Amino acid sequence: MPRWGMVIDLDRCTACQACTVACRAENNIPFAGPREAAMGRAIFWNELIVRLEGEHPYPEIRYLPRPCMHCDNSPCSKVCPVNATSRDDEGIVGQIPSRCIGCRMCMCTCPYTARSFNWLEAEWPSPMEKQHNPDVAVREKGVVEKCLFCIHRIRRVKETAREEGREIRDEDVIKLTACCQTCPAGARVFGDLDDSESTVSKMARNRRAFSLLEELGTHPKVIYLRERT
Amino acid sequence: MNDTHTPSETDSIIRRALLPLAHTSRRFYLFIAALVPLLVVWGYFVVYQTQLGHGIGGGGTKGAIWGIVVANIVHLIGISHVGIAISATVRIMNLERYKPLARIAEIVTLVSMTAAVMNIALDVGRIDRFLVNILLHGKIHGPFVWSCTVITWYVIGSSIYLYLAMRRDLCLAANMIPKRRWLYRILAIGYQDTPKVRERHERSVWWSAVIILPIMVSVHSVYGYVFGLQAGRPGWFNPILAPYFVLGAIVSGFSAMIIIAAIVRKTFPWKQFLPPRMFKGLGVFLGFVIWLYMYFLFSEILTGQYSPPEADNNVWSDILWGRFAILTWCALLGGLLIPFAALFIQGVTKRICSVALTVTAAVMCNIGLWCIRYLIVVPTFYHPHLPYRITPYVPTLEEGIVMGGTWVFAILFFSVLLKIVPVIELPEDTPIRTDSRFVLFPWITLPGRLKNLIIAGVTLFSVAMVVYGISTWQGDYAPLKWLTGIGLICIVPLLISVLIPREECARPPSFPRAHARQYMTSATPWHARAPRMVQDKIVASPQAGRPPP
Repeated sequence: MPRWGMVIDLDRCTACQACTVACRAENNIPFAGPREAAMGRAIFWNELIVRLEGEHPYPEIRYLPRPCMHCDNSPCSKVCPVNATSRDDEGIVGQIPSRCIGCRMCMCTCPYTARSFNWLEAEWPSPMEKQHNPDVAVREKGVVEKCLFCIHRIRRVKETAREEGREIRDEDVIKLTACCQTCPAGARVFGDLDDSESTVSKMARNRRAFSLLEELGTHPKVIYLRERT
Repeated sequence: MNDTHTPSETDSIIRRALLPLAHTSRRFYLFIAALVPLLVVWGYFVVYQTQLGHGIGGGGTKGAIWGIVVANIVHLIGISHVGIAISATVRIMNLERYKPLARIAEIVTLVSMTAAVMNIALDVGRIDRFLVNILLHGKIHGPFVWSCTVITWYVIGSSIYLYLAMRRDLCLAANMIPKRRWLYRILAIGYQDTPKVRERHERSVWWSAVIILPIMVSVHSVYGYVFGLQAGRPGWFNPILAPYFVLGAIVSGFSAMIIIAAIVRKTFPWKQFLPPRMFKGLGVFLGFVIWLYMYFLFSEILTGQYSPPEADNNVWSDILWGRFAILTWCALLGGLLIPFAALFIQGVTKRICSVALTVTAAVMCNIGLWCIRYLIVVPTFYHPHLPYRITPYVPTLEEGIVMGGTWVFAILFFSVLLKIVPVIELPEDTPIRTDSRFVLFPWITLPGRLKNLIIAGVTLFSVAMVVYGISTWQGDYAPLKWLTGIGLICIVPLLISVLIPREECARPPSFPRAHARQYMTSATPWHARAPRMVQDKIVASPQAGRPPP
């Protein structure tokens, strides 16, 4: 059984936000108008966090792409009252929008603020609705949504491997998610963290590897590689 | 009230206590008419929100995920707790002086809990799935499920407790208020005032009070856990939150009780039942719990400010010295310190016994506590662990209407209950006529053994349902199972009181045809007076023209 994870090399990341755009297109993430965006209601499954470090005259801007961390010890799935979010056997923290009651407990408890609430009915300015991905359902108002590690693509790879009568290979999944596939700098890699020979696993053992908010003990499966100084 | 009243005094006390039931003034109708349009506006916004989503109100993912409605839920649940706290303590400790307050407290519990549940339903994104999904897919590890469980337990338990404690007075009301006899006869479900029945009834009410007190503590503890178990929120993740919330509930609840008692005292001629000394006593207790609450608050602030973690430090700095500073200091000084000082001075000075002072302190304290609830819920959203750009939270008109409408509903509900049930506990020495005319369900009597069998069966089945639900918590329908069990457990005291062994029955054991006429005469006087068919001819009833009994 694989344990899916992702490594993001911050040294390679150019903060171009292609991952964010690809994620939005792949997962039918609705547009937020200027008013809603100003109210902090824009939905991002993958988001670029900008952080200003240091002070004048030596300021430094740091960029951090942030998908859902798919924590092994996920606080969100623990607090969900109706099991609308839960961690599956392969470590993906899933979300069932049609079961979610919209209590937003998971959003409050997520230390990474990686979950978004559909405050209003989703809208796409014409003709953007024509680019909807038929593999991903559009979420209704009043429910929470989040990054699912492009689970529909994982399923497709599994089916292909089954049809061909073989195991899933590292090269099948290394650029599997929309964000990894789109990253022009090759900063994002996806794969099985439990397979010691997989690229993602090797990168996760790098000396530069770290997790976000490690001290909280959530054991994220998205691992970052520190920038080289 | 004491037992030294003469019969005429007792009669006057009862008439005064039952005044809201016997007489409704034009002012009451005007008051209700004023509330109804507000309720209509509220209903409009509720529908509007349900149609369009929660975006019509405030809040945002990168902003306040929860807002004033959640603060209001915590406040309402807090108020609901003290209702039972006062009532159960009065009953368990036999505090005679505070007895007239007990029923009002129980009604406040029921009203505020209903309003709180309503607010929860209005705050979740999918009101249509809220209860169904909790019952079908609820998981035992979710604090929200704990809260639904204990709230259900508390609502059912406290309603039954309220009813049992009131049953004798309902029977008395059936005696005293002829125009609503039909209603109180239904509500009293065959109560009869024999010494044995009365003793059993008192015992089951006492035990209900003993059982309901820990449930009351658990409900607000669970609300502490809803916040306190969230590691992802700086300022919330704190083991002190459960006892702190229970104490906060007692503070806000006692202050609300003082306000409500003062209002009903002013509205009805009840100065005798609710004397200034009672208010002074309540004020002393309120002062004491405010002092305890300030101690908890101080511990929390000290921990938050003394040293890192930085995230908690930032939240508390914002609350104390940052954007929330004005609200915080107004709440701390105006809502806690000044009321405490006023109540302390009144408590230690024999000469001062002022209802106005106590009520003013209670009003300030209650508003202060609401602000503190707001300060518990909102500031943490300004300081997430990761450096997001946060949209400042400003409560919107829509949110205010959704929240305020719940208060209007609560006031309306309370006012209607005041006009329906006897709010002041009537003196125990009042004689009650319990002949067959005042019994609605004579067939409720049954052999003593059968009664014991039914009670044992219900108890066993309910415990089994709870165990079954909890042991199958991973599957669907688990909450439905354990909540069914809990609901059935709650009705056991009701069964003990309502089912009367035939051996102890004061009225005829069966309901023979000979009694039917007499029963119908009292139950439906208009039926008895109606013309009837005798050998295909319509003849006037022998009762026609007589005044109703």
